[in-house]
Amino acid sequence: MSADDATPAVGERRWVNVALGGLAWITALIFFFPVLWMVLNSFKSEEDANASPKLTFDPTLDRYREVTETAGGLLSFGEAFMNSVVIVLVSTLIVLALAIPAAYALAIKPVGKWRDVLFFFISTKFLPVVASILPIWILARELDLLNTRLVLIILYTAINLPLAVWMLRSFFVEIPRELIEAAEVDGARLRGQLTTVILPLAAPGIAATALLCVIFAWNEFFYAVQLNPVEGSTVPVWVTTNVSTRGEFLAKLSAASVLACIPVVLAGWIAQKRMIRGLAMGAIK
Amino acid sequence: MSTTLRPRVNRVNPPKMGRRPLSDSWRRRLPLLPALLFAILLTQVPFVLSVYYSLTDWTVVPPGPREFVGLDNYRELFRDDFFGDAIVTSIQFTVFPVLAALVLGTAFALLLDRKFFGRGVVRTMLITPFLLVPVVIGLIWKNQMFHGLYGVINWVIEKLGGTPVEFVSEHPTLSIIITLVWQWTPFMMLIMLAGLQSQPSDVLEAAKVDGAGPFAIFRQLTLGHLRPYMELGVLLGAIYLIQVYDQIAVITGGGPGSTNVPYYVFQRSIGGGWQFGLASAYSIVVVIASIIIATFALRVLSRLLKGEAAA
Amino acid sequence: MTAVRYVEATRTYPGTETPAVDSLSLDIADGELLVLVGPSGSGKSTALRMLAGLEPLDAGAVHIGDRDVTGVRPRDRDIAMVFQNYALYPQLSVAENMGFALKQHGVPKEERTARVRETARILDLEPFLDRKPRQLSGGQRQRVAMGRAIVRQPAVYLMDEPLSNLDAKLRVQTRTEVVELQARLGVTTVYVTHDQVEAMTMGHRVAVLRDGVLQQCDAPSTLYHEPVNLFVAGFIGSPAMNLLEVDDARRPKIGESELALDGAAGAALGDSAGRITVGFRPEALRVGDGPLPARIRTVEDLGSEMFVHVAVEHQGESVPLIAKVSPPFEGSPGDRVGLQITGTTHLFGEDGSRIASPAASLRSPGAVSRS
Repeated sequence: MSADDATPAVGERRWVNVALGGLAWITALIFFFPVLWMVLNSFKSEEDANASPKLTFDPTLDRYREVTETAGGLLSFGEAFMNSVVIVLVSTLIVLALAIPAAYALAIKPVGKWRDVLFFFISTKFLPVVASILPIWILARELDLLNTRLVLIILYTAINLPLAVWMLRSFFVEIPRELIEAAEVDGARLRGQLTTVILPLAAPGIAATALLCVIFAWNEFFYAVQLNPVEGSTVPVWVTTNVSTRGEFLAKLSAASVLACIPVVLAGWIAQKRMIRGLAMGAIK
Repeated sequence: MSTTLRPRVNRVNPPKMGRRPLSDSWRRRLPLLPALLFAILLTQVPFVLSVYYSLTDWTVVPPGPREFVGLDNYRELFRDDFFGDAIVTSIQFTVFPVLAALVLGTAFALLLDRKFFGRGVVRTMLITPFLLVPVVIGLIWKNQMFHGLYGVINWVIEKLGGTPVEFVSEHPTLSIIITLVWQWTPFMMLIMLAGLQSQPSDVLEAAKVDGAGPFAIFRQLTLGHLRPYMELGVLLGAIYLIQVYDQIAVITGGGPGSTNVPYYVFQRSIGGGWQFGLASAYSIVVVIASIIIATFALRVLSRLLKGEAAA
Repeated sequence: MTAVRYVEATRTYPGTETPAVDSLSLDIADGELLVLVGPSGSGKSTALRMLAGLEPLDAGAVHIGDRDVTGVRPRDRDIAMVFQNYALYPQLSVAENMGFALKQHGVPKEERTARVRETARILDLEPFLDRKPRQLSGGQRQRVAMGRAIVRQPAVYLMDEPLSNLDAKLRVQTRTEVVELQARLGVTTVYVTHDQVEAMTMGHRVAVLRDGVLQQCDAPSTLYHEPVNLFVAGFIGSPAMNLLEVDDARRPKIGESELALDGAAGAALGDSAGRITVGFRPEALRVGDGPLPARIRTVEDLGSEMFVHVAVEHQGESVPLIAKVSPPFEGSPGDRVGLQITGTTHLFGEDGSRIASPAASLRSPGAVSRS
């Protein structure tokens, strides 16, 4: 089941195919337009960007230079980028390290009350992030974790853990039981079963899960802006500093936005087939 | 016959005797414990603390002693008109985007579920909005698309002979809903696409041989097959959409028509109100509301589809 | 000397009432190839898995050699298993698949490679050692699955329907190879199948299971000629034994013809005047001008033998019977023929157990019956 499989259209007439293909193109272009325009704007001068939309302009990289200059005192792009990268990678790794064994315990050698456990995990997402900020802020202050990367790592792990457990469980359930039993009979313990059978077979699902975790962690704004106002802040927070109250800023903002979004967008583009496969397997409970 | 193949004692582990029913169930639980403990610690502790705060009259500005006031905060909540408005807005920000994204996402998935020229590129374009940073989505739509003077949408409206619309100031709710739909349609599309591709092709072929046209096949076979996928999309979408904060913060900064409950809670607590006790009570209510909305949405959708499939 | 013993082994799946395996007691001799056979749901796979340690026992015990292995983990039982769908590790090569268990048990690399190569030679797998399972045909994969078990030189081999995914011709061929291999290696083997032909041709002894209960465990010919009850009689043998219910045990009749039984049977029936079931194998039914009128339904011509399906009027219903005849046979669907029984019939009581197996023949109504 790859993303290249389409439902075969038996007996479909040529013109219908072309018409629907054309419709798909038009729809996609309209839908994608804001992104396209944003990228174009990022190469314009502020004048051009704020004038009545026109397509001809002199492209320049000045906006990119502007936004990546170290802003002395204020959050710089380099700093925010490094913070984001470290925080997202570490938290995603921790999520996987916690969720993979948990999914094993829910799918392969199921604990008695696995349904309840699964529901518990999902229910933890019902408490809005905004509501828990208060106790978390206080705890973070007590533990001297404000303005650190660690606090965001911990929180992003907590945010993504339920999703990861749920998705990984669905993938593990798909693994043929016989294969695991064969490994058991052959003498493999948990680690051997994981490395020989489970991880290789569930690899696409694990990749899809990891990608979703990366997306949500990288794009997170609220915790970052509340807990790390001085140091340890992330790219989404940095983007908002490129909005001025005076003067025109759209081109600059566009450049900043492009920089902020590129990593995740590229990752998503490259892995989209895996994501579809992953979501497909994850959806069938 | 080869002599090397006579059975040999080949065990490294000495054989263990006896039964071990007790340790078996604990051995099963062990891999689950790290994740479970982590989740409990990081979610239940704040939750319990929130419940505790919600029963006090804790304010930070002006600083006041934290005294136990029982359910006073909750009573205040029912008298608070703004909270009622926030609930309405929350519902608008959840129900409409979920449904709209589901419908659009399904439509896109249907368009994508066929071979045509440049299919990969089209799909790549369509999933991009979901990958963008939400504050970027908010800022770009506000300043680039919705802008009263320079916005792209108004440019198109003017070209078509209409008068420009101040989206953000005059239609805050709609503006934010548009950005949410734009953001979440790809998510629904991906799930629906997975659902469409997992349909067994022999069932579809049998239907074609039986003489069913594409619309009939869709209504009677495909929709039923897609139901679990739709449920998943609605559930996950609702969970995330109830908590929307980023777009509100950067597009309208709150204000009538665009303040949902999380944002209202924020305003009441560290966003300026500094009434921690009251805000905590509100957030507890949000948790309950989230569960209700998610359950309700699922039931409605299931019933809809059952009706369709039977038609 | 390794033997396998089930001692009143019982397993009930949680949430169900009837046990999947009910008080199974079985002694398997060292070096024996014992087949567990039965229809689906009979508990044969469960029994095998209990021996493997993949299924816990709710009561009773399982012994391998002189060890009670109940509750011992699979990897410590010194067993090897061949699974129905082969369960080959998809990303490992054939050689790695076969060496996996040895690696898990700490066998040093040189010895591992030597043993894998030796096993591959026996199974004609040498050209495939570096390939991945997906590059192999079904038959080749099956051999790798067997090789993975053989290379371990365990105390017992467990095989769970290892041939059922092969096409018919390959299955017959591989059957023989498995039997030869087992004889050569001399390792105790417990083999599960739902195919009674496979069971009969492969096992030293065959254990027939039904609904979790052991019906009979004997050599194939004993099962065939001396089935202990109705179920075994009807299950073993292809085509199945003809079975007819008869109202009066004293004067058994098929249709209007009397069934004349020889002396001992009369004594065995004794005073039981109730209903019995009469069974006779297709080869005991002769089609020609016998006393029992019948109508031919279809004729199956397999070349070396033929099966004639007939219908007789018995106790108010049209009952189908099968007769085995050797070619040439002149007869077509619709023809009226007469049937005669030659050879053994089996008599089963109301509880299904076999009472006697006398020689018998049919007589036209009114003829004098031998006492």
